[in-house]
Order: sequence, then structure tokens, then C-alpha cells
Amino acid sequence: MEKIEFQQLDETLYYKKLANGLDVYILPKKGFSKTFVTFTTKYGSVDRTFTPIGGKEPITVPDGIAHFLEHKMFEKEEGDVFQKFSENGASANAFTSFTRTAYLFSATEHIFENTETLLDFVQEPYFTEKTVEKEKGIIGQEITMYDDQPDWRLYFGTIENMYHNHPVKIDIAGTIESINQITAEHLYTCYNTFYHPSNMLLFIVGNVDPEEMINFIEENQNKKSFKEAPKIERFFEEEPQEVAIKEREIKMDVQQPKVYVGLKAKNTDLSGDEMLKNELAIQIGLECLFGRASDFYTDVYENGLIDESFAYDFTLEKGFGFALIGSDSPDPDKLAEKILHAVNHAEEIFNEDSIGRIKRKKIGFFLRALNSLEYIANQFTRYKFNDMNLFDVVPVIEKITLEDVKKAFQSIQGESQQTIFKILPVSRNQK
Amino acid sequence: MFQTTKLAEGVSLHIRKTTQFKTVNFSFKWRAPLTTKAAAERAVLSNVLQHSNEKFKKSAEFRSHLDDLYGTMLYFDVSKRGGEHTVVLNVETVNDQYLSNHPVLNDVIDLLQTVIFQPNFENGQFVPSIVEREKQMVIQRIESVFDDKTRYAQQRLTQILRPNHPASIPASGTIETVKEVNPESLTEAYYSMINNDKIDIYVAGDIDVEAMREKIRKAFPFKDRTPQTPAVNEDSKPAKDYVKEYQDMKQGKLHMGFSTPVRFGDPDFPKMQVFNGVFGGYAHSKLFMNVREWESLCYYVSSSYAPHYGLLYVISGIEPKNEKKATDIIFEQLEEIKRGNVTDLELNQTRAMLVNHLREALDLPRGQIDIFDQYKDLDEEFSVDLWKKRWHKVTKEDLQEMASLLKHEATYFLCGKEAE
Repeated sequence: MEKIEFQQLDETLYYKKLANGLDVYILPKKGFSKTFVTFTTKYGSVDRTFTPIGGKEPITVPDGIAHFLEHKMFEKEEGDVFQKFSENGASANAFTSFTRTAYLFSATEHIFENTETLLDFVQEPYFTEKTVEKEKGIIGQEITMYDDQPDWRLYFGTIENMYHNHPVKIDIAGTIESINQITAEHLYTCYNTFYHPSNMLLFIVGNVDPEEMINFIEENQNKKSFKEAPKIERFFEEEPQEVAIKEREIKMDVQQPKVYVGLKAKNTDLSGDEMLKNELAIQIGLECLFGRASDFYTDVYENGLIDESFAYDFTLEKGFGFALIGSDSPDPDKLAEKILHAVNHAEEIFNEDSIGRIKRKKIGFFLRALNSLEYIANQFTRYKFNDMNLFDVVPVIEKITLEDVKKAFQSIQGESQQTIFKILPVSRNQK
Repeated sequence: MFQTTKLAEGVSLHIRKTTQFKTVNFSFKWRAPLTTKAAAERAVLSNVLQHSNEKFKKSAEFRSHLDDLYGTMLYFDVSKRGGEHTVVLNVETVNDQYLSNHPVLNDVIDLLQTVIFQPNFENGQFVPSIVEREKQMVIQRIESVFDDKTRYAQQRLTQILRPNHPASIPASGTIETVKEVNPESLTEAYYSMINNDKIDIYVAGDIDVEAMREKIRKAFPFKDRTPQTPAVNEDSKPAKDYVKEYQDMKQGKLHMGFSTPVRFGDPDFPKMQVFNGVFGGYAHSKLFMNVREWESLCYYVSSSYAPHYGLLYVISGIEPKNEKKATDIIFEQLEEIKRGNVTDLELNQTRAMLVNHLREALDLPRGQIDIFDQYKDLDEEFSVDLWKKRWHKVTKEDLQEMASLLKHEATYFLCGKEAE
């Protein structure tokens, strides 16, 4: 087992690659009574066209299948896995993102039993046509719930505007129609292709002894046999640099209009340190333009164009990336115009003083976040899947210069990369 | 856990030294009786105090200063508990030991003193333009509840269930009461909060307890006060026991309200906590297993116990046409508990989850503060083991008793217009 020390952060990380290819990371935390464990596969909603394990030709599976599979992993012949976790006092959960599916639990007791439950349930699939059918009603209601959430519609509507072909524009849960096509056989195909240990990462953080834990995990894994897995081949259509739709609006039963400006990223083939630096520099740039201390914020706040829902964020993965900026607003057009004005004049707005201040703020934010075991496990996994290291964040931020921010920001700055999406209230007679 | 010192009559300081975190956390809690008017004034007040102060008159300057203090997080918020309204100031700053060359803790305490005692006044009052702008912010916050259908349905249920009662008064007041706030009334509300409220100050982190106590004592010279205790409210009765409303939406939001005589801190309180866990608090609970896993009627279904109001809510998102079916199954699960159909497994799972949730919450600085704050008023020393023992004593018969004490008072159903 490898031991990696981060002296300034006062953290020690343990790492081992097991014989079956599984990456295991353990971060002991002094003083905590809780342990948080995530078991994550590099498989998300965008992985819809791929060559299945043992197959020759690429196939395209129904939308929403990664998320459907996540739901179905919890059901076994002998019952529901939640029952087992509850018995050992663990809160279990799972989530599916564009690029990952994570299974997780947190507990303060029975850590070995719970870890075993986690490893075993994710590594022993059980799908039947009957259980698959049953799940369609449940996920159907999950999809309907999101359909009624204006914030989710705003988020996805903006992404739909940006992308021509990339499956990031498809809702993670799919649609009622697409999930209706899913069969048990589909689930096995996806499972066998993407849930091989060599495509997965186990992260354990909390009140654990690293030696004992790694031995326990190795013993568990050595009992199971996995076929040698070839490298997974995923296929994506060519994606143009410009957005698909410049501007669009929908109506919903809401009080306030809502608007997002989306900025589609050009540089989406980065990985490792280069990606980390690019991502952090763009985040610093956004904060400089739109943060609470910015001229933009003072202006739109004083003129009543935003409220407490104002937010901005940058997402970057392999093959896609975007910044979103927006708010509930009585005048969404005016707000969008001001956001784009700031983006188009970014180079004049960026300055040494602001960048220095924001760097300090981000370092503080990162250190605060290290109080959260959930943050550490989830973010570490995300970074690792892109060959980045979470614990490099502080040194990388420290080195970022004004020039770096200007240069990185160009990735989201072109006019053809900008889109606007609005949600407007339906006219209501009774109101 | 926390060491408590009385700084003045009605003002307590609670300090905890712990090496668990990379940050130092402060929390100031000002408490006063909850009325719609007080809630509105204090919601605007907390926004205005967060906006600026005498030293940093512009919000951007204030925020820049916080950024320079390594992104010290500082925010005001409002909440309620029983008949009390709370204005809370939460602050989290990085522990100096992780900052190679620039200690910030003393600067943060200086800033807190400014934020609390030196508001941004013009002629002895809050600045009218800032007050107007922050009123608008609070109004938009209240309006935004409408856009989140689950929150909206829950708000409607409490309005129907307990009209004109703290259980249904929003912590930010109502649009009408916020509109009535003006610089003069707000300034009055500020002085009343500083001079009359019951105050609890919390500090948690890797600090020197003695030195911190003296710093706080000096920096925050709150005077003696005799805080008003909130009036004991008679529970109001629901105007109707069933209300159905329509909006342009797809899912049906089923919200049911039950009452129980068992309140926070009562001898039966642990029984009611276990009851809620067996009934609908978790993924192993009867509601989840039957309404979701067995009948596939929903994605979420759960019960939650509001012990300060003696209420229990059940919520679920379903297809509108399944309203009756879902309601029947929910009532059937309650009947099951009344009949004593609870397994040892269900009891043990619930006990384990209750203990785990408490322990986990204590792994967060904010969790330590909030749990201690909630349990400190009980006449005993708080410990996880104490509560663990209590939950372990709860029997199947106790749950039968809790179930039979539960009274369904009202149901609210929100769904699309073309439903049925």
C-alpha cells in the first residue's frame, strides 16, 4: 500500500491498486466518529453508445439506463439492500451523474459489515423482467417530479440549447418513453461492460485503520473472480463548437421569470494538471466577473435584476463543459444582456487585485470543504477519473496568475458559444 | 460537549474545543417570540445586517474583506422553533494553523463586533434604499416557495392545519408584513434584538478556551436582559380536513397532517421518534417499503415529526389518479402499527438509524452547535448514549400506543388541472 502525505493539509492518503484492477483509497480522519465510503464506476448518462464487453459492434442503449441500473442494483433476490444497511445503522444512497454512478453509505458502527454489504451488492447484479417492470412506475414518478421543478428545467433547458449531438443534453433519468424500452438484458449488458473493478474506484474516509481496512477489502475482492476486461470503447458524435440554439423560452406555473446564460466551453479535451488549472482559472474568472464583490453584482443587485437565487457555476468533463450564470429576475432579458456584457468585456475587468483576493477566498473554501467527508470522497473520485488530484487544489490555485485566468477564460468567451434560456410564468386569470 | 458561561442575564456563551475540524465556527442566536410581524421585521433585519455595516458601507467592500480573510463565510439567517423566532449569524473561518503566513482569527472577531454593534446607519436609522432593496429580496424569497411545488404544498398544508399559529407562520413572515417594514420599525427591531432577545453564542474549533472566553466577553458586551418567553399557543383547529388545489403541473403532491400530544422533551418523546422511524422516516420504513417498493406508486414517500408543534407530516409525489390508493395504503400502514405488526428487525433498524444520525450530525461543526442548542434546555446532560438507551427501551407496545394517539387532521392535495 502506498502512503501519500499532504503536510500543509495535515492529511495522509493510502492507495492500493488491487489485482482485479480496483483502485482503493483510504483517508483516515482523526476525531470523527463517522466513516463515509463511496464505490463509483466511471459510467454515467453520457455513455450511451459503446462496444459491449465481448461484442464487436457498437450499440446504443435507451436513454436513462445508467440511472435505471443504479436503482435496480439495490434490489436483490432476498430483498432490498437498504434493509441490510439500516440493520447496521448505515445511511445508504446512490447517484448518477453525466459521467459517474456512485454507491455510498455513511455509518458510525459496523464499518466492516457495511463495507462488505456495499462491495457485494454492487458486484452481484440481480435483474429480472418483473423487477425491471416494477421500477418503471417509481422512476416515472422521479422523472415527473423533476419535470415540475423549474430549477431543473432551467438547468437542462440551457444545456439542450448548447449541444447539437452530445448526450449531455439528455436528461440523466431519460424520459418516460425511453425507460419503457429498458429490459433486464440491457441492464446486464451495461453492467458487465461498465462495472468491472478496473473501471471503478473505492474511497473510504473517516474513522478507519488503513491496514485493517485494505486487508478486509482485498480478502473480499479475492473471493470473487472477474474476467480480464478490455479497454472500454465509447463513441460520441462530432460536436460543433457553437451552440445549437441561441435563445429559447418555455412557460411554467411560476411566480418569477427565470433566466440562465450558458457559455459552452471550447477546451474539453484536457486532463490531469492542465485540466485542473483550466477549471480553477475559469472558476476564478467567473467569480471575478459575477461574485458578490464585483461591479456587475453591485449593479444588478441595486437595480433589482436579481434575487437570492443568483448563481454561477462551471462544469468540465471530458468532451463537454459549460458555464451557467443566472437568476430569478423581473427582467430576464436585461439581466442576460448585462451578463453577456460582462463576459464580452472580461479581459478589461480581470485585474491582479481581484484575482489575488479570489484566490485566497477559494483556498479558504477548499479548506472548509475538507471538514466534509462527503465532499472529500465525491470530489476526489471525480478528480481522479479525470487524472487530477483533489489535494493539488491549493498549490495549483496559488500558482494561477492573471494571465492564466485570461487565457483559460477564452474557452467560454466566443459569441457563438453563448445561449440564453428563460422560463416565463404562464398567465393566470385567478392570480 | 460545550462549556457554558453566563455572560449576562439572558446571554450565554458555549465553547467547545475540538481538533476535528480545519475551521473555527461561531454562531450567534437571538431569540424572541414568534409573530408574523416579528418574523418579517427580523428577516429583513438579517438581510440588512448581512449587506453592510458602518465600516464597510458598500456590500462589495464588505464581501471583498471577507474574501481577504480566506473566504470567511458569514451569513445571517432566520428560523423558528416552537413559539420562538431566531435570527442566527453563522461564521466559519479557516483555522490559522493551515494558513502559512496570515492569521485571521482576531480580524474575524473584530469584524463580528462591527457587524453586530455598528450597523450602517444614516441619521440614526438604517439606510432607506438598502431597506427597500432587502425587503424586495425577502419578498422574492417568500414568492419563490410557490415555484417549488413540494415546499408550496407543505406550506399550504400547515396553513390549513394550524391557521394563525406558529406552526404555519413562515420564518420570513408574509409578503404583506414584509411590505410594512420601514427604516424606523427596522431600527427599533434591531435595538430590541440586541437589548431584549435571549442570546446564545457558540464557538467550536481548535481554540484556547480561556483566551476565547475573554475575547468574546470583551468584544460582545451584551447587557442583562429578561427575555420574553413565548406565549403558549392554543392549537388552532383546521378549517377543513381536505383541500385539493390545481396548478399547471404533472405530479400530484399528497401532504397529510397528523397531530400527537407528544412534544419535544416529553417522557414519551423517544417513543414518538422511534414511531416516526418505523412508520416513514427511512428507506426501511413501512411507507417506503409499501407505497414505493411494493406498489410502485411514487419515487418519494416519507413521514417527518415536528416535535415542537406536536405534528407529524406524511408527504409523497404520485400520479394524480392514484391519490385514493396511496392515501389508503398510508392509513393502512398506520393501522398495521396500531395492530402491533412491527417486527424486531424494523425496531432495531430504526434504533440503529436514530443513533447513527445523531452521531453523524456531531461530525459537523454546525451539527454540534445545533444539536447542543436543541437539547440544552432539557434538564439533563446531553449524550448520545443517553438517547441510545432511551430508544432501546421503546417497545412494540409503545409504538401501538403512539399510533393510536396519532390523529389525522387534514390532507392537502396539489395537482394538474386535467387530472382524473
